[in-house]
Amino acid sequence: MDEKRDVPMKERIVVTGLGLVTPLGVGKDEFFPRLLSGDGGISGLEAFNADNVASHLGAEVRNFRPRDFISTKNLRRMDKTSSLATAAARMALEDAGIVVGRENRDRVGILLGTAFGATDVTVQVAGTLLSQGPLSVNPILVPNTVMNAPAAHASIEMGFRGVNTTVTQYAVSAETAIAYALSEIKRGVADVLLTGGVDILSKFYYEALSRFRGLSPDDGGREGARPFDQERNGYVAGEGCGILCLESLASARERGANIYCEISGAGLCSSAETPTGWPEDSQGVRQALRRVLQQAGISITDVTAIMAAANGGRLLDLAEARAYEEAFASCEQKPFVTSIKGAIGESFSGGGIRACSLALSVQNKCLPPTVGLSDPLMPLNFVMEKKKEVVIKNAVLAGVSFGGTYAYLVFSACGDMRG
Amino acid sequence: MQKKRIVITGMGTVNAIGGNVSQFAVSLQSGVCGITDIDLFDTAAYRTHKGGQIKYFDPLQSIPDTFSTKRMSRADQLAFAATLEALRDARLYPFPEPFRENTGVAIGGGAGGLFEAEDFYSDLLKKGANRAKFSRLSSVYCASSADRIASNLALAGPKATFMTACSSGATALGFARDIIAFGQASLMVAGGVEPMSRITYSAFNALKSVDEDVCRPFDRNRAGLSLGEAAAILVMEPLESALDRGAKIYGEILGYGVTCDSFHMTAPDEKASGAVRCMQAALKDSGLTIADIDYINAHGTATLANDITETRAIKEVFGSRAYSIPVSSTKSMHAHPLDAAGALEAIVCLLALSQGFIPPTIHLKERDPDCDLDYVTEGARQRELRTVLSNSFAFGGNNTTVIFGKYEGRGAVHG
Repeated sequence: MDEKRDVPMKERIVVTGLGLVTPLGVGKDEFFPRLLSGDGGISGLEAFNADNVASHLGAEVRNFRPRDFISTKNLRRMDKTSSLATAAARMALEDAGIVVGRENRDRVGILLGTAFGATDVTVQVAGTLLSQGPLSVNPILVPNTVMNAPAAHASIEMGFRGVNTTVTQYAVSAETAIAYALSEIKRGVADVLLTGGVDILSKFYYEALSRFRGLSPDDGGREGARPFDQERNGYVAGEGCGILCLESLASARERGANIYCEISGAGLCSSAETPTGWPEDSQGVRQALRRVLQQAGISITDVTAIMAAANGGRLLDLAEARAYEEAFASCEQKPFVTSIKGAIGESFSGGGIRACSLALSVQNKCLPPTVGLSDPLMPLNFVMEKKKEVVIKNAVLAGVSFGGTYAYLVFSACGDMRG
Repeated sequence: MQKKRIVITGMGTVNAIGGNVSQFAVSLQSGVCGITDIDLFDTAAYRTHKGGQIKYFDPLQSIPDTFSTKRMSRADQLAFAATLEALRDARLYPFPEPFRENTGVAIGGGAGGLFEAEDFYSDLLKKGANRAKFSRLSSVYCASSADRIASNLALAGPKATFMTACSSGATALGFARDIIAFGQASLMVAGGVEPMSRITYSAFNALKSVDEDVCRPFDRNRAGLSLGEAAAILVMEPLESALDRGAKIYGEILGYGVTCDSFHMTAPDEKASGAVRCMQAALKDSGLTIADIDYINAHGTATLANDITETRAIKEVFGSRAYSIPVSSTKSMHAHPLDAAGALEAIVCLLALSQGFIPPTIHLKERDPDCDLDYVTEGARQRELRTVLSNSFAFGGNNTTVIFGKYEGRGAVHG
């Protein structure tokens, strides 16, 4: 076990379970091999027609059977965000080998991120109110319009009663939730926290995204997600849920749990962008990187890889690439850079899926390729075409949002992985 | 974790009974009711018509022209107006350049720009997607308010929005405390905002949890809550830095607790386990005992279930001492501004600590036999307080309790 830092084991937080419902399959065993092989989860939308807009691609979750994970009684009351989150939460707990019972239920909780919540249900309620009047609004739907519904449903289904909070800050909702989970475990108010993010595609939401000119093809050209590529022309909207089970190294060792990696630091910051826009310069990313390395107690030369936030957007990808070029200019060995948003799309709280992916990369010593990237906008050390086998000491998970919010995390290898 | 003392050095609010903190304090002291007929939208088709609407205060008046408010939702404007008041109060406006890098924003967000989005939804239904103005959605989500605050003031610290329904505002304060304690920021602008909207109003109507009349917390004839709207913002910083810059200090945040009922989406656990564990978690975090608490600012929504459950929980946590601790629901005055409630009631608590009074529960005429605590029904009580506890319990079973303490050193605010 790596004891390089003099942080007590109770304050070192490790990942011991993963739950995934993604466009690349359900569960880590389906997801990760497909991700490494360069398989894409993006194709023509099937769940709804987006006739009114120029975009037709999406990264949809298919072949997900909520009944495999959720009791019929509780499932009846759940909207889609809640069923995805509850299923992923169950997978993460089971993967970690944690059974929630009377003795531990008050020390297990959830800290979930969602950017937009149940957009489908909200539009349904608004539609009823505005076309049929307030007396026709169905009370059963109401609780699911509130963003805390997925975390609440998950807690009811599995019976954990500890810390329970929902964070929403657009495209860094999940990363921010994970950062908060780290400090909650460190200060000892929970033993086990499930954390990550959930967002879904819906017709209304897809059309709204399109109107804000973020979706590919924003230039009327070839539609597709091409992170860091010269030919990028916007992101492809996605959906899904990724949840990690976190606990202290002390707790994981005591249980003899499988440890994927350590999350050794979080750095949160903002830049003064126009409130609806993506970052236009590299300053915010540079600041986030400085903060997270400082919090993790490592230096810039200790970074093996970066899982970037780049989604194929014109501004975001350029700002991020420039920041890494500048930040690592003095390093002889440049970190590998990859983005999986060409495979899973941009689901805003996709930081949960990306965090699961990075934990698997650290454990399996292998980085997934950047699907969609063939002509880099800048000569960074990109993982292109094929996966890259590499021992990862420290990897950065980059979270960047429109509105100028940044949430960065450092994932570190954790010795022999066994507690 | 090493304990850093974190204090509140500025406050700002816009709500149904105050356009700023000093008006709010006067209203709380004199038991003013802000629950009136709603005129923000036509309530003719609704079952109920009253609420704690912000009627007499214009947030735009306190926002200088240098800030564009054009694309801000009503919620964004309320939050920003309260932020400016809090910063002026803390003598941090214009915001000092050297503070920017390490100042963050944490907001309990509610309906966000839903009020404006209702017009959009209406166009979408009537005229179709091609003729609806999607730009109206640019501030629809509640995360927008934190973005507006940070970008308008060029704050570069951490930014996060919490959405746990009625406990959001309280949770944002707890998060802000931790962010400072863990050294991720040296100053936080933290609080909550909730605008009134037709969608929210109809949703609570559908759940039949709104009283047709004014809400009557702990009364045997209570018939639900009164929906409200508010923005409430606090400036939080470490005690040393507050002393260094000679700031006035309203009080200290001593601790908080967050738990989950894991029981039902809209009904509290009858055994009150979530609420009990939440108050206990906050006490533990504060390092206090039940003997230390001088006043409880109740969640006290005046729904049938909440008031009984909360009373039961207080008795479970405090034992026989529960009967000698004053408990009041200020929602009887300012109504229930959902996601902003925890932050607004934090201001109530800090005013109570710094001015030495206990705000009353108004409209309580006939006590529910199962609600048998001291609910401060006779009007505000003048009393020195050391520590106060504030509950926020939400749909989804999300509970947050925050504990505040009187600060008595240099810089302390009195009266």
